[in-house]
Amino acid sequence: MIKEIKLPEIADNVTAAVVLDVLVSVGDKVGPDDVLAEMESDKASFELPAEVEGVVKEIRVSTGKSVKVGEVMFLIDTEASADAGAQAQEATAPEEKSAREDKKQEEEKPEKQEPAGQDEPARAEQPAVSAPVVVSGEVSDKPASHIHASPAVRRLAREIGVDLTLVKGSGPNDKVLEADVKAWAKQQLQSRPASGATFADDYELPDFSKLGSIRREKMDTIRKITAKSLAGSWQNIPHVFQFDKADITELENFRKEYSRFVEKQGAKLTVTAILLKLSATALRKFPKFNASLDMKNEEVIYKDFVNIGVAVDTDRGLLVPVIRDADKKSITELSLELNELAEKARTKKIRPDDLQGANFTISNLGGIGGTHFTPIVNRPTVAILGVSRSQMEPVWMDGEFKPRLMLPLSLSYDHRLIDGADGARFLRWLCDAMQNPLLTMF
Amino acid sequence: MADKKQVVVLGAGPGGYAAAFQAANLDLEVTLIDPKPDPGGVCLFHGCIPTKALLHLAAVKDEAAKASEWGLTFSGVKVDISKVREWKQSVVKQLTGGLGQLAKARKVQYLQGMAKLTGTHTLEFTSAQGDKSEIAFENLIIATGASPSGLPGVEFSEQVMNAEYALELKDVPAKLLVVGAGYIGLEMSVIYKSLGSDITIVEFTSDILPGLDQDLRDVFKKERKDLMQTTLFNTKVTGVEKKGKGLEVSFEDKDGRTSKQGFDKILVAIGGKPNTRNIGLEAAGIETDDKGFVKVDLVRRTNVKNIYAIGDVAGQPMLAHKASHEGRVAAEHIACHKTAYEPKAIPAVVFTDPEIAWTGLTENEAREKGIKVEVARFPWAASGRAVTLGLKNGLTKLIIDPETDRILGAGFVGKEAGSMVAEATLAIEMAAVARDLELTIHPHPTLSETLMEAAEVYFGHATHIHKKKKK
Repeated sequence: MIKEIKLPEIADNVTAAVVLDVLVSVGDKVGPDDVLAEMESDKASFELPAEVEGVVKEIRVSTGKSVKVGEVMFLIDTEASADAGAQAQEATAPEEKSAREDKKQEEEKPEKQEPAGQDEPARAEQPAVSAPVVVSGEVSDKPASHIHASPAVRRLAREIGVDLTLVKGSGPNDKVLEADVKAWAKQQLQSRPASGATFADDYELPDFSKLGSIRREKMDTIRKITAKSLAGSWQNIPHVFQFDKADITELENFRKEYSRFVEKQGAKLTVTAILLKLSATALRKFPKFNASLDMKNEEVIYKDFVNIGVAVDTDRGLLVPVIRDADKKSITELSLELNELAEKARTKKIRPDDLQGANFTISNLGGIGGTHFTPIVNRPTVAILGVSRSQMEPVWMDGEFKPRLMLPLSLSYDHRLIDGADGARFLRWLCDAMQNPLLTMF
Repeated sequence: MADKKQVVVLGAGPGGYAAAFQAANLDLEVTLIDPKPDPGGVCLFHGCIPTKALLHLAAVKDEAAKASEWGLTFSGVKVDISKVREWKQSVVKQLTGGLGQLAKARKVQYLQGMAKLTGTHTLEFTSAQGDKSEIAFENLIIATGASPSGLPGVEFSEQVMNAEYALELKDVPAKLLVVGAGYIGLEMSVIYKSLGSDITIVEFTSDILPGLDQDLRDVFKKERKDLMQTTLFNTKVTGVEKKGKGLEVSFEDKDGRTSKQGFDKILVAIGGKPNTRNIGLEAAGIETDDKGFVKVDLVRRTNVKNIYAIGDVAGQPMLAHKASHEGRVAAEHIACHKTAYEPKAIPAVVFTDPEIAWTGLTENEAREKGIKVEVARFPWAASGRAVTLGLKNGLTKLIIDPETDRILGAGFVGKEAGSMVAEATLAIEMAAVARDLELTIHPHPTLSETLMEAAEVYFGHATHIHKKKKK
């Protein structure tokens, strides 16, 4: 039996992923857990497993290709032995392949005798680039005549900047209709207001090469997504920044003393883990900080679950794995999970699902240093906690200065939903709770 | 230096004037340059239009002759060649004069003369009177067309004619050799045959209209036995010598056998070459390909960003309607519209009697490229309209993607094929499937029904053909 290996539903809102590397060749014998390809989506990189045991019969993707969810990437013959598989491939695949190639060419070339030196004919069976096309951006300079759409629809798409290869047609035989193009454009505009448009901005860069030697590097997917989403958040969210300091002298003693409980299970008891637990409780106490804004319908969405993202610094950039139901987990469980997710993020094993659905974020830069900083609230959350490095400070207590270990905390929040007093209360509560964890019992 | 002109169009053929008019429609200030007194180019002055006028005449005469079979006999049919010439001239004048008026109405500045690029923003213009001046432009559209290729070492003349000479209709040669069985060769053969010449066609390849699907050819050859009987295939002309008043032509076939025959005149119709020389492309640094065509991008822009090239000069197929379409795209791009040249199908028509027309993918092309297609044929013997017109042979065919039922191509041979191909082209552009054609009511009785019935054939149940069902 031939099993089609398709790009699975990775996560909400993820419709495509880019092939980073194909790890198998035609004729290779694979098991269910063997990895066929390394993929990267808007949200994360992940591995595509073979799912079944068999022999790779056909590979329909290559490095750098963008693949849509549901698109067949590999064919695996579950009955063939490795050798037979290789032979079968030799016998049939090249022919099939060339026929398909030719057909593609045919469909794409408007006229076979076009003068040489033209642009390469569009190879747009799959969207050519990983970055989704921006409405009102420039559409590819390739003919769209092979697409199942009438000339008027093709012209409309060109005019409003819609890449027709990305639009699913609703007409007979998936024909792309005018309404489909408009609906697609509308959806794009609504789902990503200002982000793409503004940050692919028209700012004219000076010619740096006049100043000295320079080097240009393509942004990778994570960088592009980070740039767009943070720019969108920054432009749309009226930020307020609240600073405070928590006295963690006692907490630190406790942490050192009881870390061994957690270490027995294979992780460390960290300030972040404790903050996770306390934040989860705080989010329960202050439900607005666990909410999202629906400005379209002018509603506030309160969530009955507490998912907290923790920013992780990886060599590919910032990733934010999400701890689900943090309020229901013990500090030990949280420490273990945090450890595991951070490790996954750093070794590229993280799945897009692990990066989805945070209600609140903690960004701890204390390991590096600094006093305070102002993290950006990441839509659709409404607040983010920034943690800096704790320091011994003289604190006036009971008529004298005492050395206390102080942890600087920053809270950035969306002023559309959260007022200043709420912000101050939330952060103060966290500080108090760190000083006196009994508070969480109330 | 004079002020820069916003848009200059070099060449006023169907590509050039369409570009100029579209640019003017888009509120650009346009200058159109051409050596002729009015716009029209080869198409109107000595191409599409005069040949079609004469082909109409040929069709009337041939049809009149055929009518005797149906009980209508005309006698004393005579060809008055000078009157024919006058009529053809009046058609050309009416249409080109009309274009001149249209240019004026759109405030297109029309300059009669020749021009040559001297840089990326300047032209040297030589007026019809021979005065030279410099013209500076912001944007230029090169639409200088193509010229007919000749036989090696033989200049075109009244005796060794190209289409332009042949259309002057100086006289009707008793024996005419037509070199090349492409569409011009065939159309001219039909005209001169009807005017009374004995026609011999010589063709280098093995059949008429190289590349055309065999079934379409077969119908034409069956209908035009009179032309085909004297046609030499797989044969080339190796020499032309004057002999008395006539010409002696040497032939060589593919096996190397040589022969000689005498003719009064020769018409050479072996294709064309783009007019890219002597227009100063080098001065502007414009690149051409190895066949001499200007290299252009999707909006017909050359490697020089303010200079465009359209029509015959910018690549195959050398067809007026392709040039016009490109001209409009280039004009729109200059006017900053988002546009592109991306046709799915370009129809081609041979206006012989019977007409041959095709569009989109041909069966040959599909075979060469290994594209899986299904072909549905509707022979006109089953068309009521064809029978009422006294047509015995004729064919409508559809080339269909069996997986999606999409119409990929179509071919016609028979009366009005050239008009019917338009519907098929629209079907291809609209991404129509066979069902769309089948479910569209076509007027009865017309030849257009054959398209609908060909779609029915695809599904195995045409009204007027009984065939076993598919699968």
